[in-house]
Amino acid sequence: MYIYDTFDHTVTRERVAEFSQQVKRRLAGELSEDQFRPLRLMNGLYLQLHAYMLRVAIPYGTLSSVQVHKLADIARKYDRDYGHFTTRQNIQYNWIKLDQVPDLLAELASVEMHANQTSGNCIRNVTADQFAGVAGDEVEDPRIVSEIIRQWSTFHPEFSFLPRKFKIAVTGAPKDRAAIQFHDIGIQIVRNSAGEVGYAVYVGGGMGRTPVVAPLIRAFLPKAEILSYLEAILRVYNRYGRRDNIYKARIKILVRDLGPAEFTRQVEAEWPEIRPSGVNLPAAEEARIEAFFAPPAYEKIAEPVASFVEAKAKDRAFARWVSTNVHPHKIPGYGAVTISLKPIGGIPGDASSAQMHAIADLADTFSLSEVRVTHVQNLVLPNVKQSELFAVWQRLGEIGFADANIGLVTDIIACPGLDYCALANARSIPVAQQLSKRFADLDRQHNIGPLQIKISGCINACGHHHAGHIGILGVDKAGQEFYQITLGGAGDETASIGQLIGPGFAGEDIVGAVDKVVATYIAIRSSTSETFIDAYRRVGAAPFKESLYGRR
Amino acid sequence: MAVVDRNGPLKDAWTRIGEDAPAPKGASVIVSLARLKNEHNSLFSAAGAVGVEVASDVDLADLEPFLARLGVIVVRMATMRDGRVFSTGRLLRERYGYAADLRAVGDFIPDQVLFLLRCGFTSFEVGEKFPVESLKQSVAAYSVWYQKATDRAKSVVELRGENSSRGAPKGSSS
Ligand code: SF4
Repeated sequence: MYIYDTFDHTVTRERVAEFSQQVKRRLAGELSEDQFRPLRLMNGLYLQLHAYMLRVAIPYGTLSSVQVHKLADIARKYDRDYGHFTTRQNIQYNWIKLDQVPDLLAELASVEMHANQTSGNCIRNVTADQFAGVAGDEVEDPRIVSEIIRQWSTFHPEFSFLPRKFKIAVTGAPKDRAAIQFHDIGIQIVRNSAGEVGYAVYVGGGMGRTPVVAPLIRAFLPKAEILSYLEAILRVYNRYGRRDNIYKARIKILVRDLGPAEFTRQVEAEWPEIRPSGVNLPAAEEARIEAFFAPPAYEKIAEPVASFVEAKAKDRAFARWVSTNVHPHKIPGYGAVTISLKPIGGIPGDASSAQMHAIADLADTFSLSEVRVTHVQNLVLPNVKQSELFAVWQRLGEIGFADANIGLVTDIIACPGLDYCALANARSIPVAQQLSKRFADLDRQHNIGPLQIKISGCINACGHHHAGHIGILGVDKAGQEFYQITLGGAGDETASIGQLIGPGFAGEDIVGAVDKVVATYIAIRSSTSETFIDAYRRVGAAPFKESLYGRR
Repeated sequence: MAVVDRNGPLKDAWTRIGEDAPAPKGASVIVSLARLKNEHNSLFSAAGAVGVEVASDVDLADLEPFLARLGVIVVRMATMRDGRVFSTGRLLRERYGYAADLRAVGDFIPDQVLFLLRCGFTSFEVGEKFPVESLKQSVAAYSVWYQKATDRAKSVVELRGENSSRGAPKGSSS
């Protein structure tokens, strides 16, 4: 993991001091809420329906066990004993008192964490593949360039007041686990025909009311050039992105209005002007950051690991959990465990302080003290020996996080919705909970196979419903909560946007409607190995429409 | 309206003149871009010094012919969210080599002044309510920056380079 040096500590400390000063001015009445608003929004502090919410950055979803313990302590001390992991690999606390925020930030700083740029119209926390450094299919560890971008984007002198928020995601592997094409900039680490490592750059993707799959604007960018190229993109956007209408201010609209070819031309014209400015990192600094992500000392283990094979044979529940929740590791004898924060009937992404402490302890004992957050609101123990998977599974069972449902129908993404969010049209969490209960039966879940349900409480699409195989969108219909269903979205390397299937459903009917969609898939799939999304792409919307609305 | 720089209030000699008002002989006047384009010959010969006020999204090619002779460029931020000024400032300084006073006017807040300074702005026209007293404090909020910018402050990257060539210990890896 990256470890702060004295400069990183200084920047973080000075930020805490600055924001504490601003909070003090607010509490003393020197700043009105109107004046304070833009300041708090630069620090991830939102005023929600019932209280302040603080969003803490987890850069590229990587945490040490020490940091997880601290997040747990904060949940206990400053919140109602819970934290909520988000689709941007961050954590949110929903019940924060303003006068305690300075202390909270100081505690975060003590473990090299912060809430910088988790809101506001700036470059937000960079997200990356949760299996960075351990996935066998990766070209290079995406955390290296992510950390480089984190530092470069922190309080950027030119790009801290953009037309709108700006999100960058990185994948190091051709299999996209970071949904890069739904980001303002998506970076894929690639190798060119000469064997050199560089970046494919996608620009202008996004969710919200205008979902767009980002076009590729550069197939290969040499590694050393990434920061100058990002500056070129950001400068074109900062100067020419729309500022008259917040719904048209994201870079996707600029790319669409100019057309990807003209947008690319402008970026490529700006880039050579920026290259000599010294923004690209010197090789020594790149090497310094890279060294922090050198592989840890793994043991040499021969596969198959007898005890692991035996445990799977003996215990069907364990074998099933392994099949969904353990991802292959690039080192023989290891696995990467996804901890499901989606227990049946639970709130997606929530963890109590006790659960977080237990997970941090598991990381210390079994996973080289590392934890990751996924954009699907789960946690990962990236480095578990296969011989110890059974013990990990048992301990997860003790804290209620051993559900064998990763990638399945109950591994639901849901935004906070009307339970917390001031912008919501409808509740999301209760719908997720009801769906989870409806599909609780594990045999049925495994029979259904890979299926992603994503729920947003309004068109802002924080629950990524556009990218859900089944997307659910809360709408307001004459003061009533209604839910629309979209089908066929995908957030991976085959990115696509879900299509609205027909009129919405009332709260009491939405679960039954989703059940019908699933039953239709089971009836039409060509075999048990044809997944929901494959079947949908083969047959289209017609059979689903018919089962939901009858023949018309 | 008052004019301040990073250290506090400034005595300001510039006056804005309207579209039709004659430029008083020998005075320091700020005119609109349209007027500068139309009357630059007479303005530069009559007035003591000439400045221009432009919008944050000004086409820099329009300004380029006059840059060497202008004494101040005032860039107007439409609202505090209008981040175009930061790019405009950097481009004027770094690409067009503009060297005289660069002034921001508009709805910015004290906490943005630091960013404006980093992007090449040197003075600030502020309203009555602007808390000039707290400006010094907001400007001093940060002692180091990750990026290089117009102000030429050493970036963290450069400071690290100096440290390591002096043999200071590097962070340990894990
Ligand atoms: S999608 Fe809408 S309701 Fe849900 S968190 Fe975002 S803004 Fe709030």
